[in-house]
Amino acid sequence: MKRILSFILSFCALLACSSVAEAQKFTFTPQWTAQAQFAGYYVAQDLGFYKEAGLDVEIVHPSATQSALNSLLRKECDAITMMLPQAIETIDGGRPLVNILQTSMNSGLVIVSRKDEDPVKQKGIRVGIWTGFDQLPMTMAIKENLDYEWIRFASGVNLLISGALDASVAMSYNEYYQLKQAGMELTDTNVYRFCDHGYNVQEDGVYVTREFYNKNREACQKFAAASRRGWEWAAEHPAETLEIVMKYVRQGRVETNPILQELMLDEILRLQVDRESGEREFRLRPDMVEMMNDLMMENQIILNGVTYEDLIAR
Amino acid sequence: MKRLLKYLRESLTARLSLWLVFFASLVFLITMGFMFSQSRKTVRDEALRGAERELSNTVLRVQSILERVEIAANNTYWLVSRHLNTPDSMFVYSKNILVNNPELNGCSIAFEPYYYEEYGRYFSAFSYNDNGTVLTTQEGNPNYEYFTMDWYLLPKLLDRATWTEPFADFNPEDIYSKDMIASYCRPIYNGEGQYIGTLSVDLSLAWLSETISSVKPYPNSYSIMTGLGGTYFVHPDSTKLFYQSIYTETLKYPDPQRTALGKAMQNCEEGYLPLTINGEECYVFYKPLGDTGWSAAIVCPLSDIFSGLKRMQRIILIIFLLGLLLMLLTSRRIISRELNPLSQLTSQIETISSGQLDQELPDNGRVDELGRLYQSFSGMQHSLIEYIDKMQQTAAASAAIEKELKVASDIQMSMVPRIFPAFPNRNDIDLFASMTPAKEVGGDLYDFFVQGDKMYFCVGDVSGKGVPASLFMAVTRNLFRIIAQQGHDPVSIAMSINEFLSQDNNQNMFVTMFIGLIDLNTSHLDFCNCGHNPPVMVRRGEKAQFLPIKHFNQPLGIIDGIPFQGDSMDDIRDVLFLIYTDGLNEAENPRFEQFGDDAVLDILSKVGSESAEQVITSLKDAVETHREGISPNDDLTLMCFRLLKM
Repeated sequence: MKRILSFILSFCALLACSSVAEAQKFTFTPQWTAQAQFAGYYVAQDLGFYKEAGLDVEIVHPSATQSALNSLLRKECDAITMMLPQAIETIDGGRPLVNILQTSMNSGLVIVSRKDEDPVKQKGIRVGIWTGFDQLPMTMAIKENLDYEWIRFASGVNLLISGALDASVAMSYNEYYQLKQAGMELTDTNVYRFCDHGYNVQEDGVYVTREFYNKNREACQKFAAASRRGWEWAAEHPAETLEIVMKYVRQGRVETNPILQELMLDEILRLQVDRESGEREFRLRPDMVEMMNDLMMENQIILNGVTYEDLIAR
Repeated sequence: MKRLLKYLRESLTARLSLWLVFFASLVFLITMGFMFSQSRKTVRDEALRGAERELSNTVLRVQSILERVEIAANNTYWLVSRHLNTPDSMFVYSKNILVNNPELNGCSIAFEPYYYEEYGRYFSAFSYNDNGTVLTTQEGNPNYEYFTMDWYLLPKLLDRATWTEPFADFNPEDIYSKDMIASYCRPIYNGEGQYIGTLSVDLSLAWLSETISSVKPYPNSYSIMTGLGGTYFVHPDSTKLFYQSIYTETLKYPDPQRTALGKAMQNCEEGYLPLTINGEECYVFYKPLGDTGWSAAIVCPLSDIFSGLKRMQRIILIIFLLGLLLMLLTSRRIISRELNPLSQLTSQIETISSGQLDQELPDNGRVDELGRLYQSFSGMQHSLIEYIDKMQQTAAASAAIEKELKVASDIQMSMVPRIFPAFPNRNDIDLFASMTPAKEVGGDLYDFFVQGDKMYFCVGDVSGKGVPASLFMAVTRNLFRIIAQQGHDPVSIAMSINEFLSQDNNQNMFVTMFIGLIDLNTSHLDFCNCGHNPPVMVRRGEKAQFLPIKHFNQPLGIIDGIPFQGDSMDDIRDVLFLIYTDGLNEAENPRFEQFGDDAVLDILSKVGSESAEQVITSLKDAVETHREGISPNDDLTLMCFRLLKM
């Protein structure tokens, strides 16, 4: 009897090993260091959603000076997260990408003024901006005839707090709360929200190169489905999700804390709900793609133009 | 509890001791309360001064180190600005500053993109201290665009030298292993005063953290340091370092105290504020660190600051409680000893009060209040014995008098006819009479008798009460019986009695009297009213009324020789007559309200058709009810009769 049992156990172990051996390696790089912005992917990884989909996913974060896009283009990773304007600019620049999952349904981009005044009504002020995430602010500034002096900086909020900048772009889920954590008073006056002024453009989505997509169509779909499952679980279990996020935060020695991450998770989940349908749709909206493309064309940030079809799987 | 209260009620010693202790406690508590409040203020002021002193010393130490860095950077800047045309020399300067200042970790002399065209987009001469060896390199590449970093941008945008917020170096080559660094940066200008780059000198925070952390004026106090954004750069909880700011918790749980402290420290103010940290009340003393925008603070739990005071409070409280206990025991003993004679006196008085009046009260020889109390009690004891003797004698005398009075009462009652029916052989007369003295003997009288076909009757009331009145009554009654039996009419009877009574009437006593004579054949009534209440008459089916009297005569016994006049009434058959004394209509209740004539008439109107005995019973019951239980205030005599129709 013992022999039969041991045989069955060995057989099961063998099956398990073979299933792991068959899982496809898949490297995923979110566009920033570990934080609740990527909670759904951490959940999918930790709760085994990727494994269940037959993927052996490795999450590799970029450094502050090594962007996710560079990693993707260098084929150091298979999929990255990216904002829609950045994806349009990349495709327009001749590097075809495929959006395999769209998580954000709204723009979380804001401009915060140091003074309690509307940033758009201030003339000639110095406004901090991050390289690579400048498409929408630049477009808005041109369209609104703003004579901002754009100051490109790496990251953080120290320049704004110290008074070196008059205003700075910020994400409503990240720098916004960092500024509050630094004692800055943020009001309806000194915070300009792009989403409330006709620039509500979708942001985070998961992108792969079209070349990779054509070769690994099934893996990409599996990754997208498992990631979506991760996000849906996160929305239903925010407290448990926060614990998973903090595990990644500690591993990455990221300068943050549970309170900031909790606020970030709430805001990220809020931005995932479409304003019109009230649902978590997980889809790219053709009208938003068209609007962003038109804005960027109009302001000559891109030259050729990108369509909804250019972005999606074909 | 009940037993304790009972004990306190019964023990003067215990009560006095407790009051003493109570007032002593009150005085102590007020005194100590004032003293502790003053001490608390003094201790707090001392803590403020101590913390300020410690913080100032620390800030001075930190500033001296920061100034050394600034001086080194300024010296190097002087060289850099003079040799801008020789870019390679920048490597030498960045190295030399580290060689000459071993406490520094690194130095960058970085320039704007393409400033030195031959070096391309990036030129930053960077030296760093690698475990004692100074290494120099050119930093800056597409992965590390130094001109987007805070340390580079800050002096450029602010147009002045400044300290950066402490930061972790993100150089991909991982030179510093993410060591936390603060940089003193100053802008580099060319000969025309245009900004062309930044000179940055790096300093490890380890020494700063150590210096500030060492400030510990109290066992549980600790020091913190915050940056321009309120971020903790020194904190005993390492999980907060660089990751949290003084405001972090307020994002979730608004805390005006903490926010006020954050603002004060961010604004580089100096002072102290109260703050509750994890439920513990603290004072936070803060002071800016030079011009860095950073602020150092000492967090002192109040329990620490006031621990010495609290220890003293506890000791004093224990001494006080022991003192109170001692005071309670001692005072109890002293009071008990002082009051001991009182206890003895009490026990002796208890014996006396039980009846042993001859119990000796010993002289305790004291001259104080207790001694006087003894003497007073002794005097009272003797007075009591004498008084009781007198009382006994008086009681014996009273008993004899009472006995005699009883005999007198019996004699008096036997003087009036008391057997009813009064005329058992006659069925034409319904007569009933009653006499109730207010005391043992009274001054009222009544009498009646039939002689031949005539019925004589009288009702009288002697002035005064008691024995004198009873003797006067006896005389009057005998006079009436003797004179009436001689066949006189009422006026003659009255005049004769008056004559007798007036003689030798030294006591000036008199008697009111109603004297009547009925001719039983003719039903004719003759009467003479000598100052007496008018009788009441009731005809069947009619209301009662007073007997009409034309002639009112004076009472008997006042003046001799005056004429009396009588009245008469025909056909009195079937008419009820009530002759009474003023003990009826003037009977009083406890509120001194009299029974009244109206009540008499009312009752008689109701019971006028009843028998004579029933009429008198109803009247006596009504008077008894009216008195409400008190003793009668006067003798009550009632006579009621009716000549029945045959």
